[in-house]
Amino acid sequence: MRTDDLIRTLTADAQPVRPLAVTLIVGLLPALAIAVVAVGLVLGYRPDLTTAIFDPVSAARYVLPLALAGLALPLALRLARPEGAAGARVWPLALPAAVAGGLVLWALLVTPAEGWGMAWRGKTMVYCLVSIPVLSVLPVAAIFAMLRRGATTAPALTGLVAGLGGSGVAAAAYALHCTEDSPLFFVSWYGLAILAVTAVSAWLGPRLLRW
Amino acid sequence: MPQDDWAPLLRAANAGDARAYADFLRAVTPVLRGIVRARGASLGGAACEDVLQEVLLALHLKRQTWDPALPVRPWLYAIARHKVTDAFRARGSRIDISVEDFAEVLAAPPGPDPTEASDMEKMIGLLDPRAAAIVRAIGLDGATMAETAARHGLREGALRVALHRALKQLAALRERHVQ
Repeated sequence: MRTDDLIRTLTADAQPVRPLAVTLIVGLLPALAIAVVAVGLVLGYRPDLTTAIFDPVSAARYVLPLALAGLALPLALRLARPEGAAGARVWPLALPAAVAGGLVLWALLVTPAEGWGMAWRGKTMVYCLVSIPVLSVLPVAAIFAMLRRGATTAPALTGLVAGLGGSGVAAAAYALHCTEDSPLFFVSWYGLAILAVTAVSAWLGPRLLRW
Repeated sequence: MPQDDWAPLLRAANAGDARAYADFLRAVTPVLRGIVRARGASLGGAACEDVLQEVLLALHLKRQTWDPALPVRPWLYAIARHKVTDAFRARGSRIDISVEDFAEVLAAPPGPDPTEASDMEKMIGLLDPRAAAIVRAIGLDGATMAETAARHGLREGALRVALHRALKQLAALRERHVQ
């Protein structure tokens, strides 16, 4: 086939294209809605939700994951562009982790040392470690669906960022149920769940994002 | 055509303007050909044309990744770099290229295609028979969408979907070929 023939074929397929940001929103909003509804139906929202969301320490359970998602999603959109990886700044993703680390230090100071173990283990660690990865499946899938229409040149990093964004959304949804308000608990176990999802996503990146 | 004219063409193309898209592809093809030849002179003209066609197919399937607020050239070079590196790796010659290298590359001299590429033809042969017939009708025979639709008993919308799927499948076949 001559290149002119190929160009004619490609031109015949000229159709309006949907911007990647639109693809992301169209996929992620239903995924988020399903996660929020699933938490309410399956786990139940915490009874004192309307007061808890205004308590600054308790609110960190969803503010920090949402901040993580808010940083990761625009970065994922950037990395979806073939030239996006050059000059992409990844370090802002560490900011929510730094704030979480500060909260842990604060909790260690205000919690009596003999109470550390109990606060760390909590009562719902297993629920947390199972629920957040399960709730992450749809948001991460929605982000990957956008990325597969994209053209990343840094697939492992892009998968990692997708995992942070998707599990951040999922952790924020899970926080509507969770009543464990000690940073020693939620930084540890939300954090571990987010890291696990992120590791799997980073592994999936090079496998799913080839083009 | 100077580079400044690429952004309006691609913007119109991405809104569905086929004529603008054809102009865009004809404008960038000599530049891409120059890049591929500069990188892969040792492979010979036909292989370079194969690689060029891979780059064009990738550009087509990934054109939604161009951000209209940004210039076309870095985007285009990033696609070319990715596919050229892939293609030469598949052909057993390792090359390392940086985007900056492209700055000095001159477009290949204008004129008709000097060589007929063969890979795409092989890949078309691997498509299912109807998809292959559609691609050949439009690409090789120069049939219009309406004629092709009539020949295959399809509505034009269904033909568009079939053609788009066939092009995605071609890219996927190449991907498998490369691995």
